[in-house]
Amino acid sequence: MAALTAEVVPGLVSGGASARVTDSDLASKFAVGDKVRMKNINPTTHTRLARYVRGKEGVVNMHHGVFHFNDVVAHHGEGHQNCYSVKFTMRELWGEGYSATDYVYIDMFDDYIEKLS
Amino acid sequence: MPHDHHYDPLPDTELRVRALESILVEKDLVDPAAIDLLVETYETKIGPRNGAKVVAKAWTDPEYKKRLMENASAAIAELGFSGVQGEDMVVVENTEGVHNVVVCTLCSCYPWPTLGLPPVWYKAAPYRSRVVRDPRSVLLEFGTELPASTEIHVWDSNAELRYLVLPQRPSGTDGMSVEQLEELVSRDSMIGVKLADMPA
Repeated sequence: MAALTAEVVPGLVSGGASARVTDSDLASKFAVGDKVRMKNINPTTHTRLARYVRGKEGVVNMHHGVFHFNDVVAHHGEGHQNCYSVKFTMRELWGEGYSATDYVYIDMFDDYIEKLS
Repeated sequence: MPHDHHYDPLPDTELRVRALESILVEKDLVDPAAIDLLVETYETKIGPRNGAKVVAKAWTDPEYKKRLMENASAAIAELGFSGVQGEDMVVVENTEGVHNVVVCTLCSCYPWPTLGLPPVWYKAAPYRSRVVRDPRSVLLEFGTELPASTEIHVWDSNAELRYLVLPQRPSGTDGMSVEQLEELVSRDSMIGVKLADMPA
């Protein structure tokens, strides 16, 4: 019998599969309001650290909780990390001539971030 | 003598989809009825009218709006919308001074239970690369002109959170019913490239 049949479709569509880890006791490494810099690293494997924020400075805007860490899970490993919304000005990302009052928010995992003193 | 056939060749994407479908069916991994049901579900049941119900309820029910801003996934599920690609939702609210717009720069992440499947432009490189750099120009191309004093906040849904924009309720809608308000809420206004429609 086929793996995907019409009978299983409604359950698949309405159920989903959250990547949130609800039973983790992993402490958050960064707090809302922390000034942070994204690491300038260049993995050759899967990553959600978008190239355009590498080396850029921003502020932690939200702590989303603990999630499966895509960089590891994509390669069939197991791992989870805190995920944060980090806020950057357009000027920080794109340089002079770009707005200091328009912003990009992007979701970053612990391993992508270093704290600025 | 050239062939006198007037068949247009199938576009590459369609050819690829047909090839994938036939091999999955031949290997008995997928029942064709499942594909038909998936297509029907996303054509007729799951789409931006769901999101419009969320927005209109938030406009008319302050307690609901409070829950929506605090725990979007749970508040959206109250209306029966949950599931694949909407497991962990965040709602961002447009105000007098702030306009939000959503993108996935890495691929095409999008909140399916409330908006359905993403439009082609949302998945295309020009939108994804330009809206994080020059959102004001991109919005103008959608006919959306914002005052210079309005901050634009671009949300890149690059991880597992999915974002829905709560547009501002248009003026002149005080006496309108929830059902009438839903009609003013377009898909594009919940992505953030447009405002909610003005009443006729």
